[in-house]
Amino acid sequence: MTELDLDSADGRQEALRRMVTIRAFDQEAGNRFADGEIPGFVHLYIGEEAVGVGTCAALESDDYIASTHRGHGHCIAKGLDPKYMMAELYGKAEGYCNGKGGSMHIADVDAGMLGANGIVGAGPPMATGAALSIDYQDRDEVAVGFLGDGAVAQGQVHEAINLASTWDLPAIFVVENNHYGEGTPVEKQHNLDNLSDTAQAYDIPGVTVDGMDITAVAEAVAEARDRARAGDGPTMVEAQTYRYRGHYEGDEEPYRDDDEIERWKEQDPIESFKDRLIERGELTQEEFDDLESEIESTIDDAIEYAQAADYPEPSAAYEDMFVDQPPELQHFANVARTDGGANGGDHR
Amino acid sequence: MATIGLIVNPAAGRDIRRLTGGASVVDNYAKRRVAECVCDGLTITGEPLEVLVMPDRTGIADHAVAEAPAETDATTLEMPIEESSADTRRAAARFREEADAAVVLGGDGTTRDAALELGDVPLVAVSTGTNNVVPSAVDGTVAGAAAALVATGTVPADAVTTRHGTVEARAETSTGERRLTGLAAAEVSSKSFIGTRALLDPSDLRGGVVSQAHPSNIGLPAVAGALEPLSPTDPGGVAVRLTDPDDAPRCVRAIVAPGVTATVGVTSCDRLEPGEPATFDVPDGVVGADGERELELTDATVELTPVPDGPRLVDIDATLERGAQAGGFEIPAVDEPQRE
Repeated sequence: MTELDLDSADGRQEALRRMVTIRAFDQEAGNRFADGEIPGFVHLYIGEEAVGVGTCAALESDDYIASTHRGHGHCIAKGLDPKYMMAELYGKAEGYCNGKGGSMHIADVDAGMLGANGIVGAGPPMATGAALSIDYQDRDEVAVGFLGDGAVAQGQVHEAINLASTWDLPAIFVVENNHYGEGTPVEKQHNLDNLSDTAQAYDIPGVTVDGMDITAVAEAVAEARDRARAGDGPTMVEAQTYRYRGHYEGDEEPYRDDDEIERWKEQDPIESFKDRLIERGELTQEEFDDLESEIESTIDDAIEYAQAADYPEPSAAYEDMFVDQPPELQHFANVARTDGGANGGDHR
Repeated sequence: MATIGLIVNPAAGRDIRRLTGGASVVDNYAKRRVAECVCDGLTITGEPLEVLVMPDRTGIADHAVAEAPAETDATTLEMPIEESSADTRRAAARFREEADAAVVLGGDGTTRDAALELGDVPLVAVSTGTNNVVPSAVDGTVAGAAAALVATGTVPADAVTTRHGTVEARAETSTGERRLTGLAAAEVSSKSFIGTRALLDPSDLRGGVVSQAHPSNIGLPAVAGALEPLSPTDPGGVAVRLTDPDDAPRCVRAIVAPGVTATVGVTSCDRLEPGEPATFDVPDGVVGADGERELELTDATVELTPVPDGPRLVDIDATLERGAQAGGFEIPAVDEPQRE
């Protein structure tokens, strides 16, 4: 993704912009969820911005990513528009999935974002599938599957990495080790200090990097991408990071204390990258303040857009599932249209 | 009772050169086994030893203590754990006061961090890292035996230790002075950021100063060693300036990382006297130490200076030979039981 190229000053500015956008988006999503405006659950990416943006900085725009339940950051990193993302969170028809997915199911296949999802460890199988498709069609892209530390022990993750490894597929598995699987510390889930050690079992390289440093993540994923494109198969990149908020909004977080959170904030990925750009003379504090204000306005606009947008028609519940809609579903869709949804879902 | 300090860096031997080169992963299981072997080796002299182990959160130190032979009194140091190089430095500083010899498991970076704090304590450096110019790829049991022979005085430390030089980096930047110490080398890279730390691409390397140089080394010491070999015991250093091979007056083939050989263009390669600096302008780059990027710099001038009288390294083979000569491995013969 050349516009995120960390080897250029413009690319670095854009990377910083996306990290700040992720944080602003998720802070506001958390606020609006607390206000009861957003249905379902939201899992915020605040603190982990360097992983998503660093990963996408190493990708080309036609590469694929498959996300997790904590997917807002991945979406913005991949270039999705906060306006349509927020509409999706609000369950509105203007959202990326017509309001039917919500926070945990945002997808924009055209942008290479294969989807967030609510199933722990579901990203890697999607990435392996996309990588198989790329390989089968003899194309040059790669597919990234994000997963959390808790997902490393999931069976489907093993299947996905095993097949990608066995078939030398152009996949990259990015483990976002934020040190908690919901409320369980990583050391109580795994008998490994570095989760990338699991890569050895698949005979693929695994590397652990500082997930609070966008340059470290981007460099590792870039190497993994080169390897994948050379036909050498998948790589596992473990990014050690931290989420500042609870597992979900409303989580009382009895499993950690404020001191721990504050210690991680000392390595804040946005602050540290901003400081480095200032030291390089590529940014001033005033310019950064202006950037934050501009992004705040962008997110405010996204909220207003989402609030004003329409909910999907009840009949839309029967759409977008099959290329050729089965007659039964067509029938129910017609019923929903006729009675405005009052009995649209009742097929007894 | 003599005291041995043991440092096992859990983070050593894991960096991205497993992905970009041919370096092997040295996982915690392997490190636990090596640490266990070190402790077993300590029993070679038959004398009881106290073993102080740097604590960590990975279980390596706890395992070493739990599995230590009965002839040793092994404990972990009481100290905070930061899971960074500060742990190594803190433990080494304790060993400076409390240990008769130290065993360090890691690469050049770990060895350097320990060496900077160990003072005169003899250091047995065992390779479990990536860039291993100084540490020896030796079985942990052998390393433990050497440490025991030195710590107990079975072998005089002066007879089997040498002083290794270091390289001091001093950077003048618009925001002030910054410093860094390398054990085998201090390098200048044109990469803008620390990134994954490892110096990956030789074409990014602008040069540096090494404290030892030999073609069998890895990284910049190997490049320098191809043209101007320098023994670790020789004072001074070698300054190497690199450029694109297409524009270079000389080119050498060198081992630039595990599993990576490359053609490197050399502008100059000169011996430096102890304390004689080599100056590099760094418009946008990183200064590294021992194969790892450390300091991001822009519009800076960097002086790299070889400094003598660094850490006191134990020659493991010489120690064991000397131990044999001194009869250190002999035990009183057991009388054959008489037959009735």
